[in-house]
Amino acid sequence: MRAASVALARRALRNSLRRPQFLAPLVLFPTLFLAVNVGGLEQTTSLEGFPRVDGFLDFQLAAAITQSLLLGGVSAGIAAALDIEGGFFDRLVACPTPRLAIVLGRVLAASVIAALQVVYFLVVGMIFGASIQGGVVGVLSVLAIGIVAGTGFGALGVMIALRARSASTVQGIFPLVFVILFVSSAFFPANLLSSPADVVAAYNPLSYIAEGMRQPIAFGNALRPLLEGLAAAAAVALAATGLAVLSLRGRLRQA
Amino acid sequence: MQYHRQIAAIEVIGLEREFKGAIKAVDGIDLEVARGEVFGFLGPNGAGKTTTVRMLVTLLRPTGGHARVAGFDVADQPAEVRRRIGVALQDAALDPLMTGSELIELQATLHGIAPRSVRARGAELIERVGLSRAAGRRVGTYSGGMRRRLDLAMALIHEPEVLFLDEPTTGLDPTSRLTLWDEVRRLRDEGTTVFLTTQYLEEADQLADRLGIIAAGRIVAGGTPAALKAEVGSPHLDLVLADRADLERAREVVAAFGDHRPASDGCHLSVGLAHGAADIAPILRALDDAGFGVAELELKQPTLDDVFLAKTGEHLEGAAESEPEAAPELV
Amino acid sequence: MRDDLRTIGALMRRGLNEILRVPAGAIPGVLAPTIFMLGLSAAFAEAARLPGFSADDFRTFIVPVGMLQGAGFTGAATGINLARDIEQGWFDRLMLAPAKRPVLLAGVVGSACLRCLLPASFLLIVAFGLGVSWPGVGALALAALLIMGLAAAAACYATVLALRFRTQQAAPLMQVGTFVAVLFTTAYVPRELLADWLRAIADVNPVTHVLEGVRQGFVGDVTWAATWPALLALAGLVAVFGALAVRGMRRQGF
Repeated sequence: MRAASVALARRALRNSLRRPQFLAPLVLFPTLFLAVNVGGLEQTTSLEGFPRVDGFLDFQLAAAITQSLLLGGVSAGIAAALDIEGGFFDRLVACPTPRLAIVLGRVLAASVIAALQVVYFLVVGMIFGASIQGGVVGVLSVLAIGIVAGTGFGALGVMIALRARSASTVQGIFPLVFVILFVSSAFFPANLLSSPADVVAAYNPLSYIAEGMRQPIAFGNALRPLLEGLAAAAAVALAATGLAVLSLRGRLRQA
Repeated sequence: MQYHRQIAAIEVIGLEREFKGAIKAVDGIDLEVARGEVFGFLGPNGAGKTTTVRMLVTLLRPTGGHARVAGFDVADQPAEVRRRIGVALQDAALDPLMTGSELIELQATLHGIAPRSVRARGAELIERVGLSRAAGRRVGTYSGGMRRRLDLAMALIHEPEVLFLDEPTTGLDPTSRLTLWDEVRRLRDEGTTVFLTTQYLEEADQLADRLGIIAAGRIVAGGTPAALKAEVGSPHLDLVLADRADLERAREVVAAFGDHRPASDGCHLSVGLAHGAADIAPILRALDDAGFGVAELELKQPTLDDVFLAKTGEHLEGAAESEPEAAPELV
Repeated sequence: MRDDLRTIGALMRRGLNEILRVPAGAIPGVLAPTIFMLGLSAAFAEAARLPGFSADDFRTFIVPVGMLQGAGFTGAATGINLARDIEQGWFDRLMLAPAKRPVLLAGVVGSACLRCLLPASFLLIVAFGLGVSWPGVGALALAALLIMGLAAAAACYATVLALRFRTQQAAPLMQVGTFVAVLFTTAYVPRELLADWLRAIADVNPVTHVLEGVRQGFVGDVTWAATWPALLALAGLVAVFGALAVRGMRRQGF
């Protein structure tokens, strides 16, 4: 079971890394969006009610990471859908590979890529003047939440792929990534969100994931946001993996 | 005008195409196709057929040599050439969202003809390729054979002087293949010049008035199918012996009657017959005298494969494996 | 000339097939700018409270950005479709037509001009439903003209890339280009409130003028002073990318 998951994760990872043209957009779009947000909305940190931060970049970095991780989930889903379309998936199912391993293979690959995404954004942030208030512990906290969240988003992507079975449908969920993220407190402080986004944000796990990563970057280490972030990320990961395995079972029964 | 009629439909001198990495897909070929002729361009995969066709139809610029099609230079007067040629390329790229008749109309428009003025001809062409019932359906629902036939109809809508068919039957089932062959014959009867590439010997043999055989970017033989076959000489006899224990000695026995040839699949001996069928009885007698029993025998007329074998030392079928596909990648 | 127009018309009709015959495929592209507009206005609404902000309402300010974005992505989609046509061999058929290359390009690009009106219309319907004030028919007509021009420019840009790379894998490159062009402008806030580096980019980015040309009717009155720079910028963009695209077409097979 473990060997199978690791072998499948290796394959998924190798396929991703060999085609950087598919990997690049995962960080490219969030980086550009980060740049335009910071450049355009820098002054909003002076708004009444905005938490005290060194700069809008410090505040936005966690949003960019979250967005990038979500795109990573979409891309894991597309890869899984391509496996289904191309028939590789059927071959796996025909092997005595444990069902959970088929899902975990993709999902583990997503978590490795998630670590790379987090590191990339922290480095880019620091190059452009962000400071990480929480120091080394802070970096580790961001990595922890990021990896768990990336795993969860990967599982979500795989689950959608198992249901949709077509890469173009999975591609079509791309705009939804933005919807979910915009109605969270990832891009702007929760207390400054307009109604009804503020209400949704309070229940949106992405709010807690983003704020959990933002805390050590912009404000300094604190246990509560870290735990909330980890909990939200873990909840997404567990729920999505469970649903993915369930939809895999469903798929097999239909076949 | 009289002069115009007399010049060749296709005239190629020293045509070359070099791809990235100094790969010469086409390495200095010369050929001439007369008006009204069906010219077969025969060669294995990767020999340079498609590259040659792409140059002749103005899709690919030659890196050396000259080619004139319908009287115009493909490099200097591409628009004039395009006006006068019809092209059905290998993949029959058709928009799956459009219907057959819509595609015919679009093709007419692309050639500067008002669709209204060719409506009758469009319908006739569709009828002719047997797609009348499917014409209103989206091409996405067509089979491979239907696509090729529609592609052919589209290539004919503007009444081209020269028609290029690039491997028109590759991948088709036998019935669809025969239908397409009939259509090519009919076009020849109507006087259309046809430049046909194929990797199938039978197709070239059946359809072409004249042939050019290409291997590794060079023309290795040319002429009518009959002349080419005559050039490689006499028919040959394939033999299967009752007992193959002493094959070496049997070879020596038959060697007196003609050239020994590499035996083709499934037979033990193959011998060229210098005097044709008249040699058969003496060979059998000689084998019998030497104590050999003959289980099977077959008299074979020379084929284009023999031509290919004689010119390149390889059989046509299977020669492709050793060469990379000359994909029309651009430099 | 009549032949040319007919060719352009036929190619435009074919381009529209993608929407008319596979409507489901068009949904993400139609929805995306609206979602983006709604998302931005939900997250950053408070930015309108900044001193010096030129509109009362952030949503009104951001609606033109969504329209431009729809045009940009429609243009990119045209390039992606062209890359697919090249991969599948359909483009060969186009190149075999005796028509002049600019005519063929106009046919390919022309459909983008029409298609971009769809996401923009959807966006406007949602925006007006949410209380964005009606800018008047004249302002809307000008906005339509400008986004059609931007869609043409973006389609020419994406066509250049499609002809260069000949694969749909170049899609992110086409999308990133239009994304940057539309957002690295006065997209979020008036020029004075931009960070210095972004203001420098926005000042040299011709799309800033196009955006301001579309936006003027939404946040105030339409003036010639804000209109001519938009028209000039578009003329320049279409001329440059159109020329590059035609060159790319002529170089096919060379």
